[in-house]
Amino acid sequence: MNLALKELRRRPGRFATATVIITLIAILLMFLGSLLDGLIRSSTGAIRAQDADAIVYSSTAQASFPRSRIDVDVRTQIEALPGVDEVGGIGLVQLGARVPGNGPRDLANVALFGYELEPEGVPAPPPDGQAYADEILKADNVEVGMTILVGPARTPVEVIGFVSDTSFNGQGGLWASEATWRSTLAENRPDAQLADGVWQALVVRGDDDIAVQIDAATSGATDSYTVSEAVNAIPGVEEQQGTFNQIIGVTIVVALVVIGLFFALLTVERLSLYGVLKALGAKSLTIFGGLMVQAVVVTLVASTVAGVLVVLLDLVIPPGSIPIFVSAGSILSSTALLLLAAAVGCSFSLRRVLKVDPASAIGTTG
Amino acid sequence: MFLALKEMARAKTRFGLLVAAIALLVFLILFQQSLQNGLITGFVGAIRNQNAPVLVYSVDGQRVVQGSIITPDLEAEVRAADGIGEVGRLGQSTFTGTLSGDGGATFDTTIIGYELGPDGQGLGAPAELVAGRYPAGDLEAVASTGGDDEFVLGDTVVLQPGGFAVEVVGLADDIQLNVAPTLFSSYDTWAGAVQSVNPDAGDPLPNVMVAAPADGVTDAQLVENINDRSLDLDALTRADAANETPGVSQVQQSFQLIFLLYGLVVPCVTGLFFLIVTFQKANSLTLLRAIGAPAGRLVASLLIQVVIMIGAGLIVGTALYYPLSQARLGGLSLRFETGAVVFWSILLLTLGVASSLVAARRVLRIDPIEATTGAGVGV
Repeated sequence: MNLALKELRRRPGRFATATVIITLIAILLMFLGSLLDGLIRSSTGAIRAQDADAIVYSSTAQASFPRSRIDVDVRTQIEALPGVDEVGGIGLVQLGARVPGNGPRDLANVALFGYELEPEGVPAPPPDGQAYADEILKADNVEVGMTILVGPARTPVEVIGFVSDTSFNGQGGLWASEATWRSTLAENRPDAQLADGVWQALVVRGDDDIAVQIDAATSGATDSYTVSEAVNAIPGVEEQQGTFNQIIGVTIVVALVVIGLFFALLTVERLSLYGVLKALGAKSLTIFGGLMVQAVVVTLVASTVAGVLVVLLDLVIPPGSIPIFVSAGSILSSTALLLLAAAVGCSFSLRRVLKVDPASAIGTTG
Repeated sequence: MFLALKEMARAKTRFGLLVAAIALLVFLILFQQSLQNGLITGFVGAIRNQNAPVLVYSVDGQRVVQGSIITPDLEAEVRAADGIGEVGRLGQSTFTGTLSGDGGATFDTTIIGYELGPDGQGLGAPAELVAGRYPAGDLEAVASTGGDDEFVLGDTVVLQPGGFAVEVVGLADDIQLNVAPTLFSSYDTWAGAVQSVNPDAGDPLPNVMVAAPADGVTDAQLVENINDRSLDLDALTRADAANETPGVSQVQQSFQLIFLLYGLVVPCVTGLFFLIVTFQKANSLTLLRAIGAPAGRLVASLLIQVVIMIGAGLIVGTALYYPLSQARLGGLSLRFETGAVVFWSILLLTLGVASSLVAARRVLRIDPIEATTGAGVGV
């Protein structure tokens, strides 16, 4: 093992090619993982932020706010359930917003929510005509105290503070009162407006299994989800996760192949030396252990460099452009997967090491 | 050449593994190519394959059909633009649907409403049908083919809630929007559908205006004329509208990154493999050189092996890809991409041969005299 580390220290150039290739793969892996995290966060923040035990849509809505409609009598039914503590309406309208100082065609994408029960990190509903904005809207030059004009009807909404991680479908959340939401919806999307008392969905606090109780009590008029279920039910979330995980999986296999081939090459190059080492009493497993140590060290160096570069990339990318979210967890999990690939890839050389005959040290080949 | 073929025949496992590795990579590349094209067609096929050469969004829509709203003022601006020939309204919404007589299984479906005109082929209609006919009136539609929830002629799609029913009278390829089964119907059918699922809804406004230039005016000129009339209008040619739909370029960029990775991996794998093989047979190669084999012949043998291996990998990979390319993946219809097969075959063969030049250089460096000392390829 000492020998392996000494070789790494004294002949780093020998490992440069593999380190560079694995660094590239590690960057790709960490970038893909961070991109997935960012996409999911920006798509689901508004739902994840709900402090609720159930989110209730109408039965035919397929968990889509615009297609959902909860009438007053259904809400009354739900409020009467013994396991229900609190019920609040929630509604959404997705529009472009004109930001003072920006170009006339440079609009901010906003998801304006009307709400009754405050999500985590969001204060109680503000006065009519005002809203809390998600901080990703800072990238569109939105500031506290600014009045932005929402939708083609240019409904004025004053931003009175920022909240974090509450965006929806990549659009910055605007959290407003019921009246602000209803007027914005009616003025800008007359085809989607709802009568007073009718909400797109309900946020319910109560028993842990309240979602099941609600659907049973409303005789199929509702389709209720826990918060985590509602997150996964957002159209596109599961598909995004599936596609990205597939790409990440293939990238891991690619890393495995590259590491396997590189250490197979190193092993072939050094077979005669291994013969000598064995003739001097070194065990096959000691030699293979050295190879494994080298693979792990090369992968760790590559992962560290990649981690630093991805963090730098995150700092360089302007907020609101590529929805990347770099976390320690993402970097560590990518590193762990690469180490696993390194161990598996390196183990392809085990058979070759085991086959080295110490007697070959006397001849010319390993 | 004879030696190269004999070596491959005698080391079937070793060379077979390389062929398998290349075949797997080729299969993955081609599959992802089909996936990319299927995704993009599923996202914006309805825009790309409708017949209006110019689409006009409101700036508020950010180039998303459903996000765009054309107010009466904006509509008037479009109609008054210089160089406009024909103009029509187009509306789009996504609904939950069931098939009449299908036990109530629900699915997402998109309805695009356009002004039918006298023959059902008004601006915004699917450019081409593969079966049936264009709608002759309300409550009829041309449906997209493909996907898990594919419609057939004569199907009746019932929207929920409300029970608004639309009959499928025609079918067209590649006209999906947002990867959902899509129905092209009359504008009034779309408006009726919107109001059927939301009794509180007011009169829906068109999402997009579709336009064609007058004689002697190009599409690009019409786009410019419309955009000059109002900062709230965002006119685009059909191709631009499809390519600049949010998400399309991101999908393309993501896949390009993946293809670049694969494009690098194949020559890496091939190059490393032949380098390893060259090292392994170092002594034999030295001996061959010592008994008079010219270096050029040994390099030629190496290159022949590379071409055969990559060629076999390409054939096997394409054979694996073919049945999958006929399949459906969720809402996506995949198809065999002949152009991609040709492009990747040439590229991978070229890169593979280039990567093997490292091994060829090692062969050229063999000094026949080392047959007496045992240094071989020279590590």
